[in-house]
Amino acid sequence: MSKSRALHYGAKKKPDYARRQSYRFSRRALLVGGAQAGLFGLLGWRLHQLQIKDASDYRLLSDENRLMVQLVAPSRGSIRDRTGALLAEDKENLRLLVLPAFCKSLPETLDRLSRIVPISRATRDRVKRAAVRQSGYYPVLVAEGLTWRQFALLNVLAPQIPGLQTDRSAYRKYYHARPMAHLVGYVGMAGKGEVDLDPVMRLPGFRAGPVGRERTFDEELRGTPGTQKFEVDSRGRVVRELGATPSTPGKDLVLSIDHHLQTMAQERLKEHRVASVVVLDVETGGILALASTPTFDPNDVVFKVDPKAWARIARAQDQPLQNRAIRGQYPPGSTFKVVTALAGLHAGVIDARETMRCPGVYRLGRARFRCWKAHGGGINVHQAIKQSCDVYFYETAKRMGIDHLAAVARHLGMGRVYDCGLPGQKQGIIPDVAWKRAHLMEPWYGGETVIAGIGQGFVSSTPLQLAVMARGSPPAAPYCRSSSCLRTTPDPEWPLLQLDPGHLEIVRRGMIGVVNEPGGTARRSALEIPDVLMAGKTGTSQVVNARNEHKLSPYERETHALFVAYAPADKPRYAAACVVEHGGGGSRAAAPIVKDVMTEALLRDAAKRPVFAAASTGTGSGRIAVVEDGG
Amino acid sequence: MRMLFAQAPAVKLDLAKKLLLLNWPFLALVTAIVLVGIAALYSVAGGSFDPWASRQVLRYCFGLALLFAIAFSDIRWWLKGAYPLFLLALALMALVPLIGVESGGARRWLGVGEASFQPSEMMKIALVLAIARYYQWLPPEKIWRPDALIPPLLMIGVPALLALSQPDLGTAALFAIIGAGMMFLAGVSWFYFAGAIAGVIVALPHAWEMLHDYQKERVLTFFDPERDPLGSGYHILQSKIAIGSGGLSGKGFMNGTQAQLNFLPEKHTDFIFTMFSEEMGFVGAVVLLALYLLALAFITFMALRCRSMFAKLVAGGMGLTLFAYVFINVAMVTGLVPVVGVPLPLVSYGGTSMLTMMIGLGFVLNAHVNRRVTFRQSELGGLW
Repeated sequence: MSKSRALHYGAKKKPDYARRQSYRFSRRALLVGGAQAGLFGLLGWRLHQLQIKDASDYRLLSDENRLMVQLVAPSRGSIRDRTGALLAEDKENLRLLVLPAFCKSLPETLDRLSRIVPISRATRDRVKRAAVRQSGYYPVLVAEGLTWRQFALLNVLAPQIPGLQTDRSAYRKYYHARPMAHLVGYVGMAGKGEVDLDPVMRLPGFRAGPVGRERTFDEELRGTPGTQKFEVDSRGRVVRELGATPSTPGKDLVLSIDHHLQTMAQERLKEHRVASVVVLDVETGGILALASTPTFDPNDVVFKVDPKAWARIARAQDQPLQNRAIRGQYPPGSTFKVVTALAGLHAGVIDARETMRCPGVYRLGRARFRCWKAHGGGINVHQAIKQSCDVYFYETAKRMGIDHLAAVARHLGMGRVYDCGLPGQKQGIIPDVAWKRAHLMEPWYGGETVIAGIGQGFVSSTPLQLAVMARGSPPAAPYCRSSSCLRTTPDPEWPLLQLDPGHLEIVRRGMIGVVNEPGGTARRSALEIPDVLMAGKTGTSQVVNARNEHKLSPYERETHALFVAYAPADKPRYAAACVVEHGGGGSRAAAPIVKDVMTEALLRDAAKRPVFAAASTGTGSGRIAVVEDGG
Repeated sequence: MRMLFAQAPAVKLDLAKKLLLLNWPFLALVTAIVLVGIAALYSVAGGSFDPWASRQVLRYCFGLALLFAIAFSDIRWWLKGAYPLFLLALALMALVPLIGVESGGARRWLGVGEASFQPSEMMKIALVLAIARYYQWLPPEKIWRPDALIPPLLMIGVPALLALSQPDLGTAALFAIIGAGMMFLAGVSWFYFAGAIAGVIVALPHAWEMLHDYQKERVLTFFDPERDPLGSGYHILQSKIAIGSGGLSGKGFMNGTQAQLNFLPEKHTDFIFTMFSEEMGFVGAVVLLALYLLALAFITFMALRCRSMFAKLVAGGMGLTLFAYVFINVAMVTGLVPVVGVPLPLVSYGGTSMLTMMIGLGFVLNAHVNRRVTFRQSELGGLW
């Protein structure tokens, strides 16, 4: 306004706006400063209100009754096998903790406690170190897994021993632990990334499943946390519980596994260093047993964990944490001849009548491919499967070409991972021309087709894939969870072919011959159950090649032993595959295992029993129980 | 006129002269506040320099080096560099939604892990410089004109909207407070401010609709902490209990049961004032507030003594930043305003806020050292 007046009256001198602005700044800066002081006064008034006027109220709240809210970790759902036997459940874990800040003297407190609960020297050192490293107000775990007697005694003594705290959390208990270790997996503390996503993970008692089924179905098993309100006194001791919103326990899980069969299979594998066996229900695809040796006891890694024991397991020579049945990738060797035979028949390059001569060696250009023995003349497809003649399949593979062979192998379920709730499956390799160009950027050579015909070279697959292949009747994908057996729709990504049942029959008869006819490679492993025949195929896959020969120890040079089978031969119900790493010949090492496991499976006939129906877990949201059709 | 243009070409200051001109008592005051913070962090950790106090010392030393570097730098660089710096900060803020790192439901950081930084922190400095730069060259007789308001309002509005989208309500509010305060200091007419306040009252219901659910929740629980005693209301309630139970003289150093027993959340960062006033009582809290107020008074008088508008506004703007931080934080922990996650400057544990504040104070001292300097437009030239 002053400006306009100055202009209006035509003052001679232009007003000094800059000086005015400077003065205005000073006025306003003082005004702002005054406002700041005033607002600080408001803060002071507020502090006065809280700390002087209402101080006694707040002190009362602080000293006498204090509200403490804790999240309560939910109990994890239990895991059962198809018969309803418990494989994993939550058990109450009674724990003893100390709050170092409240102890008169930490060593003295520990001495007094050690009269009730044994405290080792190592524990004592750990507690002392923890007390120094972190604030004395953080509880330090002294002992867990207390007996009720110890727990009650400690609670009685609690008022006399300052700094003593007890609590009830949970730990995971595994049954049939060693045979089931790879299948069920184990729980552990949540990883760092998970903690960021969900603060509940910080709860000391909260566990997520990092491995096996515990991982696949983690979200269902986990449940949702509740809260608990306490009143605690000025020493942090709980005066009374003020009520709680209960946590929702995780859902229970029923697996398609039969623990009797699984335990028996695990037991049977024991004599070998590294081996695995898989048993499938042919009709539904349910996995009845999936054993891998060496194994471990998950109870050792989830409760009262001894770091040394854990390191021993994690770094053991043969890696017991690895589930060979889904993660071991082996050249299928002669077991793959089943695929080659079927593919050859399907492609029309061989038929049931054609015979070949096996001079013990096969020539392709200048290259020579050996057969494991000179079978002589008159080898038709039946004899070739039965006696496992390499030359016959070299020729078959050469005639049809690799792409045809690969298509049939994929039809039988090889070279893929299954959506069956088993995390960490390896894919294996079913090579073809396109695969080699994409991965190795090289053209395909004829010699590679020839050795692929006997399951060597680039071909590799896992024991689970071999069992699926032996089942021979896609499309039901394998699964390990009982309720999944309802899934009958074919997997859209599973490339299926139209195969002639007659061709399948020819191959099947060959496989019966392997086990049951004189001259069959697994003659010694015929079933001893009257009127029940097993059909199978042995495999002995070579590990050594010109490149790695000199690097390997004698054990590592030994061939892998494989055997795939199904039974009963006339009406297949069970399919199995076994791989013994560096086990020698398939007929000697792998076939007897399958024979025993198959005998057990047939005698128990687990597939025909109803599947355990899990009871609803009280929350109403319990799992859907599925009873498999008895058939 | 004489003051602006008839000055000698430039007052050349060498380092020795600058050392003499520096406001050493102010620096001592700042150090005192930082020392209070370090003592508080020592206590929070249960009587240990680990893990917070020791690192806070390092950060202060690093911050001090930055403060000196800025205080002794040539003020002309900053006048020239104000707009480019502002545009850089703006570009980085705009990049955050695209390539930023998400943490706790908000996307505020660029980079990863230890090397991450928040462009909104840089903007707090750059905004002050840019507005000061604008009013330095705005002919004083044009200040009252409405079209002269557009550039500074854009300078405030664009970063504030970017901060809101992160979403970071506290920072957006801070930009608005600092920006509006600086426009007021620069001499924008009272009527505009009255109009703006009226406009805010009208727009408030619409703004409410735009808030995120968790922000609404915070505001609602502020008005009624019992609404959610386990969630954000729990923080306010426990904080009030802690402060109130401290009483006149406090529970004693390292004896704050509320804080030490883990009733308090974020007691080493946003809620450190709570812990401090629980242990040191009303007396301690008032002394700490008095230290801050003294520092603010120092800054105001340093601003008054500057000759150029740029230096005045830089000092004044940084003072506003310091004030806004302290006021919002203390008001928040005493339950006067909703919990918005603003740290207590120089005291709360955290590298970002410490460095931002030390850089800001570096600019205050830079203005003070260059208090007699004036600028000629020809000397700087061009748009920049």
